Amino acid sequence: MFRSFSPARIWTLASATVTQLVRMKIMAFLLVFCVIVVAAGFAFPVMNPEQQLKLLKDVSFGALQVFSVVIAIVSTALLLPRDLEDRTLYTILSKPVPRYEYLIGKLLGVLVLIGAGLILMDIAFSAVLWLRQNIVFAQALAALKQEGTATPETIAQLQEFVGRQGLTWNIHLGVLAIFLKASVIAALSLMISCFASSTLFTVVIALLTTIIGHGQGLIREYFLSEGMNQMMKKAGSALLAVITPDLGVFDVVDTIINGELVSAFSVGVMVGTAAMYVTGYAVVSHLLFVEKEL
Amino acid sequence: MPDSDSPPAAVTVENLTKVFKAGLGKQAFVAVKDVSLTVQTGEVYGLIGPNGSGKSTTMKAILGLLAPTVGKTTIFGKSSTEVESRRDVGFLPENPYFYKHLSGLETLLFYGRLCSMTGRDLKDKAREMLVLTGLEDAANRRVAGFSKGMLQRLGLAQALLHQPRLVILDEPTAGVDPAGSRKIRDLIMGFKENGITVLVTSHLLEQIQEVCDRVGIMAHGSMVREGRLDDLISVENETELVLANASPDLLAEIRSLVESKGAKLVRSGHSRTTLERLFLEATEEPQ
Repeated sequence: MFRSFSPARIWTLASATVTQLVRMKIMAFLLVFCVIVVAAGFAFPVMNPEQQLKLLKDVSFGALQVFSVVIAIVSTALLLPRDLEDRTLYTILSKPVPRYEYLIGKLLGVLVLIGAGLILMDIAFSAVLWLRQNIVFAQALAALKQEGTATPETIAQLQEFVGRQGLTWNIHLGVLAIFLKASVIAALSLMISCFASSTLFTVVIALLTTIIGHGQGLIREYFLSEGMNQMMKKAGSALLAVITPDLGVFDVVDTIINGELVSAFSVGVMVGTAAMYVTGYAVVSHLLFVEKEL
Repeated sequence: MPDSDSPPAAVTVENLTKVFKAGLGKQAFVAVKDVSLTVQTGEVYGLIGPNGSGKSTTMKAILGLLAPTVGKTTIFGKSSTEVESRRDVGFLPENPYFYKHLSGLETLLFYGRLCSMTGRDLKDKAREMLVLTGLEDAANRRVAGFSKGMLQRLGLAQALLHQPRLVILDEPTAGVDPAGSRKIRDLIMGFKENGITVLVTSHLLEQIQEVCDRVGIMAHGSMVREGRLDDLISVENETELVLANASPDLLAEIRSLVESKGAKLVRSGHSRTTLERLFLEATEEPQ
């Protein structure tokens, strides 16, 4: 009995994609990340406790963002054109595999890889941050004792401060935001690769769109603020949102680095926006790919 | 008219035309023009023609990889545009490539899973195919290190893995040495004995002649000849007689008899083997 939608076939394609990317040594970035995190965590002991923890979070989140965006663009851009150039696509699509399953499988494979990579990096990051916050706390407490100002109030203040700047659930929400942003960029790259003539074209266009997507708020503010009626502003915003994803929605990392909390509402907006863009790009990818002459 | 109760033909191509659109200011390219053919179940059909004659485009249309501009194609009665039509098809493309990061066995497991095969059945079948194609020693080697001939054999293994009723082979002997080529020919003969339908293209016309029941000859995107091989290649007004151990006297007697009856002896001489047979005999001799 033939099933027109098979999660097992999708998973077969996704796991082959993960294996392909892993064997391309893409995960070597994890090792580089660990080195960066450890260096950021222990390289500047002369800074004050706040600066030390902020710097660690800043550098680590930066590395996480670079990893996720690079993998999302490059690995997705590599997959479809390479299968077409190598004619591997012929042998896959001459099996009873609907084209949308192929696309979903490829996208899922990239997302699984990015997700797994981010989880591993989150674990390493959290471990270093936890270790660092304990060291910072111990050092600050020793300094207070030496100065003779270690009252229960100052110790409580110190605990509250280190707790806010140290390891909290906020850190994981930041990693989630990075993953959601990478999902949108991967889906966008997949869509571009469905009509692109080469891997390089896909990478360049996806990178440009990602950069513009980060500045969408600024563009909207600059071009759509003055001398326009409400209708034109709405139309302009909608057009901008169609051309590039609004990646500013996912930029909560600075808030987290400053020790502020990310609200449940913000998380909901991020998840909803990511789902909308990923679904939209996946549908357009299918419409482009289903008509593609192989 | 075909009987409505009879099983559908393995492949039908009806008035297929494929036009590739070109860029702005360029003329569209007509790859296939009004081609029709039918491959009956259990038959070995050879599609031959020079490069650029439209063979591969026709095959891709049959497999649903290309949408016809005009006409339609079916596999076992189902339109090629339906994914389900490919359930009973095994396809070997010309110069196949596979994921280089996978081993030979992993490649077959991957394709088997795409055909909804699972568990012990899949593993056993994959091993069986590796043995059938002589790749059992390369089961755990990465495909990146495979030679062209090995890739071709792996392609054949993935095409046969799910026991298809129709096998489509695009230049199956390209890049394969004569011994491997002969093995592929024997496999095609085996398919025929087991009732598997085969649609094959090849530049090696001698091989096509050896295995095919019917052939279609394409040129410039059109079907220029089609029919049973025996009918197409027989010369109506000539008869062949092969004698063994005939003495010169007997040959002279036959010659004079032929002339006395008003017929004409076109040629005589020693039968010749083919270079392929000579190569195989020479290379298979024990050292």
